[in-house]
Amino acid sequence: MSNDFAQFQDAFFEEAAEHLAVVEEGLLQLEQHPNDWDLLNKIFRSAHSIKGTAGMFGFSAVAQFTHKMETLLDLLRNGQKAGSPAVTDLLLKSTDCLKTLIESAKTGSGIDEETVQRLTADLAGASTSAAQPAAARGLGGSAGAAQPGCEDRTYAITWTPPDWLFQRGLDPLQIMKELNDLGSLAKVTLNTSRLPDLSDLDPERCYLSWEIQLATGKDHKVIESVFEFVREDSVLKIEEGEALSVKREALESGNEIRFTNDERRAESGEPKPLGEILVETGVVSRETVDHALAQQKRVGQILVEQKAVTPEQLEQALQKQRQQETAVQARKSDATSIRVDTDKIDKLINLVGELVITQSMLSDLGSRFEIQQLPVLLERMAQLERNTREIQERVMGIRMLPIGTAFNRFPRLVRDLSAKAGKKIQLVLSGEETELDKTVIESINDPLTHLVRNSADHGLELPEERLDNNKPEVGTIRLNACHEGGSICITVEDDGRGLNREKIIAKAVKQGLIAEHEKLSDDQIWALIFKPGFSTAEKVTDISGRGVGMDVVKRNIESLGGTISIKTATGQGTTFTLKLPLTLAIIEGMTVRVGKETYIVPLLSILESIQPKLGSVKTVAGRGELINVRGSYLPVIRLYEVFALQPEHTEPTKGILLILETEGERVAIMVDEILGQQQVVIKSMEQNFRKVEGIAGATILGNGTVGLILDVRGLLEIAQREEAVAV
Amino acid sequence: MAKTALVVDDSTTMRQMVSFTLTNAGFTVVEAEHGKDAVSKVAGGAKMDIVVTDLNMPEMDGIALIKELRKMANFKFTPILMLTTESAMEKKQAGKEAGATGWIVKPFNPELLLKTIAKVLPA
Repeated sequence: MSNDFAQFQDAFFEEAAEHLAVVEEGLLQLEQHPNDWDLLNKIFRSAHSIKGTAGMFGFSAVAQFTHKMETLLDLLRNGQKAGSPAVTDLLLKSTDCLKTLIESAKTGSGIDEETVQRLTADLAGASTSAAQPAAARGLGGSAGAAQPGCEDRTYAITWTPPDWLFQRGLDPLQIMKELNDLGSLAKVTLNTSRLPDLSDLDPERCYLSWEIQLATGKDHKVIESVFEFVREDSVLKIEEGEALSVKREALESGNEIRFTNDERRAESGEPKPLGEILVETGVVSRETVDHALAQQKRVGQILVEQKAVTPEQLEQALQKQRQQETAVQARKSDATSIRVDTDKIDKLINLVGELVITQSMLSDLGSRFEIQQLPVLLERMAQLERNTREIQERVMGIRMLPIGTAFNRFPRLVRDLSAKAGKKIQLVLSGEETELDKTVIESINDPLTHLVRNSADHGLELPEERLDNNKPEVGTIRLNACHEGGSICITVEDDGRGLNREKIIAKAVKQGLIAEHEKLSDDQIWALIFKPGFSTAEKVTDISGRGVGMDVVKRNIESLGGTISIKTATGQGTTFTLKLPLTLAIIEGMTVRVGKETYIVPLLSILESIQPKLGSVKTVAGRGELINVRGSYLPVIRLYEVFALQPEHTEPTKGILLILETEGERVAIMVDEILGQQQVVIKSMEQNFRKVEGIAGATILGNGTVGLILDVRGLLEIAQREEAVAV
Repeated sequence: MAKTALVVDDSTTMRQMVSFTLTNAGFTVVEAEHGKDAVSKVAGGAKMDIVVTDLNMPEMDGIALIKELRKMANFKFTPILMLTTESAMEKKQAGKEAGATGWIVKPFNPELLLKTIAKVLPA
């Protein structure tokens, strides 16, 4: 495969993923509308695209498999085969298999050869018509082109082209030129016998024919390939004259003529190896060089022989090398790209244009500024601010994708789940066009999947149970997304049985999460299902209920700076509401001061801020400083101690304590003053400096200085370590 | 003057690969996502030296596009190459009847693409 196209591989994988989604979604819709011709065409086109493009990169396994799918799809769309659930099932399974094949082409991951074979056979079986030849084949131009030349064969060619030659954009002159490139045109005779009278002549038709004598070293096939596009419609005769070439006889007698390594190297301009040159100049014989080469050892082997390393150490090092190689490979496949609507870019360019104008107006004003022009200056500044804000919004918008890309997998999931659990489930999606950051979309996939599985498995009842309770037989799961202020709100709603208060309490008591007769509000009880290891499903199914789950969902959502809440009514259903920031690049932060330094605390993690009473902060042996906040003791971290600063206050009663929460744990941090609330753009510390414990990132503050963003989790770990040290 | 090419394919990857190859070979490339897009891009009377089009496309497929182009004065004699897969022999025939100059069978490499274009491109 030519390397020229290799750079488009990433684009191919991205596009293939999109096509796969189209195929999968289409197949699911097809179940509802089996005779939707447009839909079938769309699915077919996507499969066809994957096949065609995969072949371009030499992914023949992908191309061949897709070809089989395409054959079946073609029969379906031509009405030669009727659709059935079995066929859809087969095609869906094949889509899954195709996914793994593409994944394997991308990362080199293994494939389940058996499944591929089985599905290939099934697809072929389902396509009742005779199997067509596989799509992928070796590349290459005309077959004879690479053959070495013998100089002087003559061909007599007579060619009568079809009269519509010109109407297909073909030009006889082009063909003559191409023939001339093959050798030399000894004689060209134009036959005008078919020319009609001028009055009958249609200038767009071709009435001519030719007799051509060509002397060339190329063989019959090559000459025929010149006429490739017209051969089938022309009267064409290519006859070989006398064979004169000695070389040709050599060819026929079986003496191969081929390039040697040397010639190839000379052609590509590579320098020759040292041994080669020594042999050529006659200094040593080839045998001597070969013998010397055979004695060459690899560096590891030499080191072992010198007893510098033991074979075990060597093996370890080699293993490490392999790991690094895999890591590099993995990193490579991690690199992602994003497709941006050209509209978005055009608008951005417009805005940058405006920014440039504003800037030049400002510098013009600055060069001859007088104090009475102050209103003008302020106006320009306001304009600059407007431009900047708009550009910021647009640039953030580039990373924004509709959440539909994350929702699209759920119809398939729900279909499989309903089949597995014997339930009737209908999935309703809404708000798919809601846009949010690509990274956020990727990270909510797993939590969302878990919630949908949960609703299907625990939430919804079996059809009989639903009918007994006067509910429609088919259960509904609704997925909705919408914008709410600066965040996005995603709800997963089912109309199932709702959370069971008693069951949750019983389970929590059994697990020792709560005391037996503890008085808890509903919300507190629902929150219990997010505790690690909590699952009320009586039987563990393979859909959910493996005891890991809701706590992981909560942790994932929180690590994105989001929250999750539950609303439920017995017998009517449960709604999970996720609130997520639109983007991970900008956060809402509270700026605080310690001494002369400014820090930013993510607003989402702040529960409250208090000024403690005298004596409420106590030092407890083995646990460091603690403060009693409404009955629970929280560790106190003095920020100035962690970062070794000169604070204004060392007395907790004079400063302020921020109560922060992360992943269900709370901590109080002591600062001098709260300055205010603002949006900050996160800059990575690791990329610009190095990882600093307790710091999540940095940002540029309004006055141009750097403000550090606190990592609440990290601070908590520092506090816990200090406790341990205190012990 | 640089030669101009109209590249029509609904697959972004394919389109990019073809136009990359042509751009490197000195062509000025106009890209279109499907037949309708292509027609709208040349409806103003723009002349192209060559058209390279996929066959399977939404909105308007390659065959319909070729027919449409051949009706336009500015494309009456323009060489049009279609990108086909080997399995689509009947498509090749339909394309010829619609007025396609020639075809390139996928998968192909840049050399074959340029060679085939040179074959039909008037000097």
